[in-house]
Amino acid sequence: MSSTTVNEAPQKVSLSRVLGPGHVWALGVGIVLVGEYTGWNFAADKGGTLAAMIICWVIGLLYTSVAMIDSEVTSTVAAAGGQYAQAKHIVGPLMAFNVALYLVFAYTMLEVSNAILVADTIKSYAGEDFTYWYHSGIEAAVIVVLAALNYRGVLMTLNVNFVITAIAFIAIIILFFSVQPWSQGAILKLGDMVTPENALPYGWLGVIAGFHWGIWYYLGIEGTTQAAEEVRSPARSLPYGTMAGMITLLVGASITWYVCASLMPWQYLGSTVYPLLDAGRLTENKTLEYMMFIATVLSALASANGCINDAARAWFSLGRDRYLPSWFSAVHPKYRTPYRSIIFLVPIAIAFAFISDINQAITFSILSGVLHYTFMAINIMMFRKKWPLGSIRRGYTHPFHPLPAIVLFILCVVTYFAIFLGYGAQLTAMVVFYIIMSLWFHFYRYQYVKRGDQFTMPWPKPQGY
Amino acid sequence: MAKYTPPQQDKTLQWVDIIVVVLAIFAALWLPLKMGWAGNSKVLEKIDNPTWETLGQTAAQVAQWNKLGYADAAAAHDIIQNKWDYTINWTQLIILAVALIGYFVFLFRASDKEYREVIDEKFNGK
Amino acid sequence: MWNTIANIGWALSAALALWMIYDWWKTDSTYSEATLTSSREGEIEAVSEKHKV
Repeated sequence: MSSTTVNEAPQKVSLSRVLGPGHVWALGVGIVLVGEYTGWNFAADKGGTLAAMIICWVIGLLYTSVAMIDSEVTSTVAAAGGQYAQAKHIVGPLMAFNVALYLVFAYTMLEVSNAILVADTIKSYAGEDFTYWYHSGIEAAVIVVLAALNYRGVLMTLNVNFVITAIAFIAIIILFFSVQPWSQGAILKLGDMVTPENALPYGWLGVIAGFHWGIWYYLGIEGTTQAAEEVRSPARSLPYGTMAGMITLLVGASITWYVCASLMPWQYLGSTVYPLLDAGRLTENKTLEYMMFIATVLSALASANGCINDAARAWFSLGRDRYLPSWFSAVHPKYRTPYRSIIFLVPIAIAFAFISDINQAITFSILSGVLHYTFMAINIMMFRKKWPLGSIRRGYTHPFHPLPAIVLFILCVVTYFAIFLGYGAQLTAMVVFYIIMSLWFHFYRYQYVKRGDQFTMPWPKPQGY
Repeated sequence: MAKYTPPQQDKTLQWVDIIVVVLAIFAALWLPLKMGWAGNSKVLEKIDNPTWETLGQTAAQVAQWNKLGYADAAAAHDIIQNKWDYTINWTQLIILAVALIGYFVFLFRASDKEYREVIDEKFNGK
Repeated sequence: MWNTIANIGWALSAALALWMIYDWWKTDSTYSEATLTSSREGEIEAVSEKHKV
């Protein structure tokens, strides 16, 4: 393999630092915004329309905690792999291995659900003769074209994401103002759709059960940290981009709920795959409908694009530390991307796009997400204990510690219970999978890992060791 | 403390590792789909000859159903009457709780053991 | 129209997949494995970020 290179000291290649705060926003919001276009509404299915709104804000609190905690840790540990590198420096190698798997699972399954969403959306217009073959063709194109874009370089990838994410977000705003939100009864009929009888059809248990899908309003915002190694000034750009992203999403989620809840009976809202597109249809304005069609597709593309970026970075980091064969840690000398990891994940994504349906793919993604947030709550406690304030320079220090961590932890426990209500077997299967992988790593794979080399930050020794 | 030198991993073994991981991923994701474990606690509460009234829809709601392409109550019946069954299966809940807690306990304890080696080699081994 | 677009999707996927595999093969045979896997975590930070109080 190496025969063609002259035998000098091997030239160094690394990822390139080219991104600014706008790209961080585009990566975070790009991944998540599709949640407004599909997925969040399944919370209405599990608990009713009012539950979906309560959840939107409670889970918003969970994610504000995530964003605050994440900003502090990541502005200090800025490496590709994001939370993976954090776990490695703060908790330990096995935790890091698991975190990387959470990331790869969460993002790959999110990418899969995006591909399915694009195909389903098109199918709703294409009619009966749009068979499985055509459906799969759209899914394959979404995954492969975006993978190729990612392969060619991160700057172009995230520039594209910035543009399409912005369009998809503006579409929600335009829809909001076109339905005259100030005059209920003209187009919006919140009082008719949500009545005291149907607001919480399953009572408060339904609200808890809905937490599961509430995650989908925001899942992936923490993905901004994956870009850490490619951002020009991570200590500043990452907190800024992540917080700006969180604000964008809170606004987007509230507007989306208001418009959709005012237009659809809750049973329909809970079962549709594209609530915002349906909202566009229900305005009976063709321009709005087509705008929402395009925006739905664009939001899914932006999300899949960001997911490919993030999943590949996490997989790449695993190879770099030899947690997986180091073959995966190759960087393309010209495009400066983790090209082998990008290619490796393509067939896996395509396979699942062909065999699963959208809410199953989303559930897989959510499960890994919640395991990940549980880790984050404990991680920040350990971070503050091992390196108290003042012992190292932090780019950002989050306020009210340990309140956000405690809130995050409690909400995670509630969400496990919520997933259990309806998806218990799937949750148990996932946990068993992670247990098996952990045993495999701890007792077998870890022998190939260099010990001291894993700790790469120029920090002092942690307290208590 | 002596620096730990990992053994060289054979090319073939590297491939075996990759295949193991891929197989595990497929087993974890595909098996629940195949076995129909995913989201299976919904029950269709059938109503014979449904009307919009028996389905509990008001006139304003019916207007929206019509605009969405559901011309009569029968068409919307399956969506409206497909309900969640939130009866808690305590055995299953306890199994899940034990698995989850056991997983996290093992995760943090084993990580800590490995972490101590890392810190030892990085900071004390000099 | 959508069916044609889906077919173009298949063709595009195949073409780009082939391009990626070709480029991957070309890259792997042009550069040594040591060069390709020379990226190390934290190396850039060591230069740009100083963790001094």
